[in-house]
Amino acid sequence: MSYIDELVTALGKEKVLLDPSERFVYGADWSPRTPDEFIPPDVVVLPRTTRDIQRIIKVAYGNDVPVTAGAGLTGMLGGAMAIYGGIYVDMTTMNSVVEVDPKNQTIRVQAGATLQEINDAVQPYDLWLPHQPESKWVSTIGAAIACDNDSTFGVRYGKILNCLLSAEIVTGTGEVLELGHRKAHFTSSGYKLKDLLAGSEGTLGIITEATLKLEPIPATRRVDMIVFPRMGAAVDYLSRLLKAGLCIEAAHINCKRRLKFYTHSYRQKFGKDPIIPAWAEALLAIAFAGDQEVVESQRNYAVKISKDFEGQLVEEREIVDAWWASKYTLDFEPFKQKWPDSQKQKKFGAADPGVPVGRLEEFYHKFVDVAEKHNLEIIGMNAYLEHPNSIGFSLSCAVFVDYRSADEVRRFREFHDELSKLAVAFEGTMSTFMSDSNQKAPYLEVEHGASLKYMREVKRLFDPKGILNPGKKFPREVYKG
Amino acid sequence: MSGLEEFKDELETCFGTSCGFCERGCPVYQTMKIKTLCMKGRNRTMLGLLQGRFEITPAVVQAAFECTLCGNCDRWCSLKNTEHTQAFREYLLKHGVEPMKEHSSLAASLRNYGNPWFQPRSARNRWTKGLNIPKAAPGQQDVLFFAGCTSAVTKNLNRSLVASAKILQKADVKFATMGQDEPCCGSTLLRVGQTDAFNELSAENIRKFESLGIKKIVTACPGCFTTLKKSIEKAGSKIEVVHLSQEIASLVKEGRLKVKKSSERMTYHDPCHLGRLGGIFDEPREIVSSVANLVEMPNHGYESRCCGAGAGLQSAFPKLSRDLAAKRIAEAKATGATTLVTSCPFCETQLRTVPGIKVVDLMELLHDAALDVDRSNGNNRKTT
Repeated sequence: MSYIDELVTALGKEKVLLDPSERFVYGADWSPRTPDEFIPPDVVVLPRTTRDIQRIIKVAYGNDVPVTAGAGLTGMLGGAMAIYGGIYVDMTTMNSVVEVDPKNQTIRVQAGATLQEINDAVQPYDLWLPHQPESKWVSTIGAAIACDNDSTFGVRYGKILNCLLSAEIVTGTGEVLELGHRKAHFTSSGYKLKDLLAGSEGTLGIITEATLKLEPIPATRRVDMIVFPRMGAAVDYLSRLLKAGLCIEAAHINCKRRLKFYTHSYRQKFGKDPIIPAWAEALLAIAFAGDQEVVESQRNYAVKISKDFEGQLVEEREIVDAWWASKYTLDFEPFKQKWPDSQKQKKFGAADPGVPVGRLEEFYHKFVDVAEKHNLEIIGMNAYLEHPNSIGFSLSCAVFVDYRSADEVRRFREFHDELSKLAVAFEGTMSTFMSDSNQKAPYLEVEHGASLKYMREVKRLFDPKGILNPGKKFPREVYKG
Repeated sequence: MSGLEEFKDELETCFGTSCGFCERGCPVYQTMKIKTLCMKGRNRTMLGLLQGRFEITPAVVQAAFECTLCGNCDRWCSLKNTEHTQAFREYLLKHGVEPMKEHSSLAASLRNYGNPWFQPRSARNRWTKGLNIPKAAPGQQDVLFFAGCTSAVTKNLNRSLVASAKILQKADVKFATMGQDEPCCGSTLLRVGQTDAFNELSAENIRKFESLGIKKIVTACPGCFTTLKKSIEKAGSKIEVVHLSQEIASLVKEGRLKVKKSSERMTYHDPCHLGRLGGIFDEPREIVSSVANLVEMPNHGYESRCCGAGAGLQSAFPKLSRDLAAKRIAEAKATGATTLVTSCPFCETQLRTVPGIKVVDLMELLHDAALDVDRSNGNNRKTT
C-alpha cells in the first residue's frame, strides 16, 4: 500500500486531492517566482481536526514523506512551499472557533482561521485581535505564528507572541502537545517552548489550535502623516513621543519612494501621484486610538512636538486616507483593488531585515545601493514599529521584480541574500517578518553561529525524521537518514 | 489570440499578485474550502492549462463549472475574473469537453422552445391574460417590458410579472410586450460557455428589437438586464436597457404611486446580476424602505452573497447550490427580519427552497402595499 493509499484510508478520499491540476494550484505562494516555477506537492490533504493532522503525520512518519502545512499561500518567501514534494496540508479547512471567552478576553480557534475570521467572531463582544498584517483577509493565525509576520499595530500591541497565550501542535512523530500558559498572560514556569513556534515555519510541528489574547476595540482612531527631512529625524521624533508618555497605536516610517506604493486609491481618484514637499525624505504614518478626548489630546501634542524635529503635518487628508486604505482598511473602490493593479508588469518583492534603531538611515542608503547594484526598480523602505512602546522596527526593503524574467527573479534573490547578511553586519538580524524559508537556510550560520547546532537539536527533538517542511531553516540533508 | 489566451496576462498577474482576497467572499470556496474553486485557484488552473502543465481532467472541468459567476471575486480585484471563468468554460467545450448533461438540456430546450425550461412558447404569454398589454409592433411603442423566460413560463412566478405590469399601468407608463415572441436573452448559454450560440442568439435579438423601433427595454429579470445591456452596448445599439426597479423607484419617488408603509422588518437580498454586476443597489432599497423597515444583512450591496442559483450551478451541482442558499437564508434570519425581499426569479425560487423566512418578490411587495392599484389576479381589472 502506498503512502497515498494510506492517507486515503486514514482520512477518506474526499479529503485527499491528487489530480495534477489541483496539486498545481497549491504550488506557489506570493514570493517572487516565474510563472513556470510552480512546485506542486505530490498530494494535498484537507484536514478538519487535530486527529486528522495526527493521522497525516503518522502516515508521513511511517513512510519518511515530507509534510508541509500551508494556508493562504500569501507567504513572501516560499515558507509554506513543499519544495521536496510530499504532502501539502491545507490548514484553511480547519477554521472553527473553539471558544470565545469575553470575560477573560481570549479566543481559542483552529489554526486555519483567518485573522479576519477571528475578528469577525469577537467583534460582537467589542474585542479584537490587533495582529493585523495587510494579508489579514487570507492569512491564518497558524501562518501568523509560524511565519512570525508583521502587524500594523505593533508599536502598541507587539508581534504575534504578544497575543499568543497557548498553542496546540502535532509534532513530527504525531504527538499532540499543548505549549503555553492557558489563559494566563505570561509565565515564569518551565522553558517557553510556545515561543519557539513563532517563526518556526512548521518545522517543529503543525500548529492546530491557538488561544489568543484579545484587546478592547478603541472607540476612535486618528491617523496622520508627518514628513521629515531625514529618516533619522523621524526616529528621534518617535523616541521623543514615547519619552513624553504618548501611547502610539501604529507608526510606520516610509521613505519618500515608498509612498507611491501605498497611494493607489489617491491615483484612482485624482489621476496623479500625491505631492509632498521636495525636501521631505521620510514620511511617518502615525495613529492614536482610544477615547476621543484622549486621542485628540495625544495627537495634538504629537503634532506640536513634530516641529522640534523639522516635521511637517500632511494636511491633504486624501493622502493619509489612501495610505491607510492600503495599509489597513483595504477599502478600495469596487473592482479597483490595489493589489493586482500594482502588480501587472512587475511584482512586489522584499527583504525583511532588522537593524539597530540608530542605524536606520545608514541602512536605508545601503538598501538603495544594493537594489541598484542588482538592477532592480526600487519600491522603497518601510520601517514598521513592531515592539510595544519602543522603537524596534521591522524593515521592508522592497523592489519591483519582473517575475516573467528568470534573470530578474535570480537578481532579486541575490539582493535579498545580500541585504540579509548586511543586516547582521549592522548588528541586526536577517529577518523580522518573513522568517527564513529555504532562501536563508544556506547561510543561517551567518546570524546564529555556533547556536545553530542547538537549533538543529531542538528540531531533531520535535521532528526526529526531519519530515516537517524540510529544507526550511536548515538544508534538508542535515536530517535525512 | 482569442478566448482564454486573451486573458493570459491577467492570469499571470493574478499569479504574480496571489493576494487571495477573492477567497473571503466567494460563496463556493467558503463552502467547499478547495482552492481550485476560488478565483485565485481557478486562475492558476487556467494558467497551468495554457502552460501545458496538465491535461483536461474532471477536476479541471469541476474548477470551471463549480462557480456561480456571482462576481464577488471581481469586487475585490481589478482583474476580469468572471470573464476569465466564462472563457475557461468556452475553452473546455471547444477542446472536447462535453457540456454537462444538465447544461445540454437547458440549451436544447432553448433551441426547441425558446426558453431553458421545456415550456411551450405559448406559456410565455400566459401571465399577460386580462391585462390588456399591447403587443409590440414596429413603430408603435418606445418601451418594451421584457418579462424573461423564468418568470414568464413558471406559473408561481407569474404573480410578480402581473404585479409589475399593474404598477406600470397605474403610473401611466406606456409599454408593450413581445408576447409569446419574446426571445430568451441567452444568459444561460453565455454562463455555461456556449458563447457561439449566445452570440448568434444575441445578434438575432438585437435585430428584432431594432426592427420594432424599441427605444427602451425594461427587464423584470436581473439576468436579462445585464445580458441585454452588455450585448446591446457591445453591438453599438442605442436602445436603453433598465431594470424594472429603476423604473418603479422613480415612480415611487415622484409620488406617482402611493404606498402604505408598515413597521415590519424586512431585509433585501441583492441579486448578483442586479447589484454587483449591474450596479443597481439603491432603487430596490428605496422601494423596500417605502413600504417596510429595511434591515441589512452583514453582506449586502457589493458584498452580497450569491443565493447559489446562478451560472448553471443549481442544475449541475444542486447540493452545493442549496448549501449556498441555506447560508444566505441563515444570514437573513439573523437580522431579525420577517421577510426577505429580492428582485430576481432565480434568487426567489432558490431561496424559497430553504425554510425559515418568508421570501417575497420586490414588485409583489410593492403591489401589495400600493394604495390604489388593481389587486385582481389579472383576469378582471378592478380598482380597490
